[in-house]
Amino acid sequence: MPTRNKTLKKIQSGRPTRRDWLKQSAKAVALASLPGCERLIPVGQTAVKVGLLHSQTGAMAISETSLRDAGLIAIEEINAAGGVLGYPIEAVVEDGRSRFVDEFPRKARKLLSEDNVVAVFGCWTSASRKAVLPLFEKLKGLLFYPVQYEGNESSKNIIYTGATPNQQILPALDWFTSKAGGAHKRFYLVGSDTDYLYSRTANFIVKKYLESLGASVVGEEHATLGQQDFKDTVEAIKKSDADIIFSTITGDSNVGFYGALAAQGITADKIPVVATSVGEDELRSLLPSQVQGHYSAWTYFQSLNNPQNKRFVELWKREFGNDRVTDDPIEAAYTQVYLWKLAAEKAGSFDVDKVRKALGSITDFDAPSGKVKIDPKTQHMFKRFRLGRIREDRQFEIVHESADWIAPDPYPQMSFPGWKCDWTHNGITEGEPVQI
Amino acid sequence: MFYWIYDIPNWQLAAMISGGFVLIYWFGAILISPILRRLVRSTSGSNDVVGYILSSFGVFYGLLLGLIAIAAHQNYTNVEDAVAREAIALSALNQDSKAYPEPLGQNLRWVLRDYCRYVIKYAWPLQQKGIVPEGGRVRVTAFHEKLLSFEPQTIREEIIHAETLRQFNNFFECRRMRLQAVTTSIPPVMWYVVIVGAFINLVIVWMFDMRLMTQFTLGGLLSLFLGTMMFLIAAMDNPLRGEVSVSPAAFELVYKVMMDDAY
Repeated sequence: MPTRNKTLKKIQSGRPTRRDWLKQSAKAVALASLPGCERLIPVGQTAVKVGLLHSQTGAMAISETSLRDAGLIAIEEINAAGGVLGYPIEAVVEDGRSRFVDEFPRKARKLLSEDNVVAVFGCWTSASRKAVLPLFEKLKGLLFYPVQYEGNESSKNIIYTGATPNQQILPALDWFTSKAGGAHKRFYLVGSDTDYLYSRTANFIVKKYLESLGASVVGEEHATLGQQDFKDTVEAIKKSDADIIFSTITGDSNVGFYGALAAQGITADKIPVVATSVGEDELRSLLPSQVQGHYSAWTYFQSLNNPQNKRFVELWKREFGNDRVTDDPIEAAYTQVYLWKLAAEKAGSFDVDKVRKALGSITDFDAPSGKVKIDPKTQHMFKRFRLGRIREDRQFEIVHESADWIAPDPYPQMSFPGWKCDWTHNGITEGEPVQI
Repeated sequence: MFYWIYDIPNWQLAAMISGGFVLIYWFGAILISPILRRLVRSTSGSNDVVGYILSSFGVFYGLLLGLIAIAAHQNYTNVEDAVAREAIALSALNQDSKAYPEPLGQNLRWVLRDYCRYVIKYAWPLQQKGIVPEGGRVRVTAFHEKLLSFEPQTIREEIIHAETLRQFNNFFECRRMRLQAVTTSIPPVMWYVVIVGAFINLVIVWMFDMRLMTQFTLGGLLSLFLGTMMFLIAAMDNPLRGEVSVSPAAFELVYKVMMDDAY
């Protein structure tokens, strides 16, 4: 009886028993003997390793730490339910230290070459993603990228689970230039050089699209890394006679930006801000009195009312505390781990190519944001656009939602004519050269 | 050295070590004892001589075992104390962070909560395997970074900030002590002396001129006790490994308070 109780206690505590070890070793030997798997699960290794690569220190830690947590709770849940293909997942967590061009590639190389992870879930800024992309292609790794981005990119070795411009930026512009959105015509663009690529490219797309909608851009400014002083920017906005501000500012610069707006009396009813990088997690650093009534364009909000989201929010709060919030990148960071798991199970392997191909056939995963699927051609995710207005309680009131999910298009044609990608056939087709 | 013993449940380990000693003794009583008795039989009253040697040896060996058992217990207590002090310092930091302006105060508390969760969920199982957990370092760095970003504007804030920094240094010191304890153990040379001493004990008892059943019973009892002492020292050695190890209960208590605070 004591033996039984002890074994039971071990199982309940999640610690592997000797029987588990023997079983896992046998599985490892069996799986390692399959073609294509010999490099992935070294014999005797009892868990499958995945990498989590986010900034846990530095300027972007405010946003990226939550993505690490989202990945971790998905892994904890999967492990509690038996793992993937019979293996528990072991997360190798690395800190990019908000150093996008040196630390991120260094850590990516470590994950792929030394830790031999089968997939990496990571990055926030486009600068970091661009910096690690060549490594993933060279070392045949698989990166799951969970943040909305500027498009104009597609890699066979990256699965993009955040929104593309046509799923986030363009529907937002459609709405704000429509009668329902206030028929705004004079846009002021503010961005962030924390992530030079994102803001510049997003604004390039915005300018082209607004032109086609008959609206105009009356000014454009970009903040430097960690900038807090936006006094001059706000004065320029006031002088420009803009009727709406389109913000791609990332990280804690938003604290200074919204603070400066409020200090100079710019409230949402005078000049609303529509942001593409301010979610619930960023709102906790912002004073409600300074941000109430402004907008954010995303594909997920914590306030979404569906059973999957309720369960997800409950899990998040139970694990990290009632004052923690979920947001769009957090939801994507959580969902993408499950998508990888489903793909690995469908492929019956952890092999990058097999998992990548299997991802395209997953069509019915119930994510907290609703049903999701990966487009096998672009390796981006089908998503539903949502526009939220900031409430006093640092949550969003969803004011508009697209009728259906929107197919991803990393190369909006009015900005990147002739460019397209299809990873089921020829890969990237280059169009006209584009100068951003 | 023999770290696999910490993966075995305590009762099995106790049975293995004590039973092993008894079996070795019985085995020797049958095969080695007759040879040894022949060596000492030439002298009349050999049992008296052997008894005298055994009691002299027993005093020294008993002292050695006692001292090592105390050292192991002291190690264990020190680590338990370091863990408790780290948890207390963490709790104090959490309390201090409430004095900071929002959202910095909340950000500080979130990092501390995350650190506490990491220690309980991830660091402890690694420590039990003898691996020094590394994930806490980045969380401590993140906290320190945030703390240093604060610039006090009033004397009150200056005092609070100075106190928090002092508390942070205290916390950092305790954390280092816990991490060092992951590899804390009795030096291998001491184990060597203990094992050799135990073997000499058995050899001396084998030299007694007794009936086989008496050898089995008396020698068996002595071996059982020696084995039990070995088990006790082994179980208490490496204070963060095995079933007899320092638990994360102190952190669990702090984490519960932190989570309750979030409501």
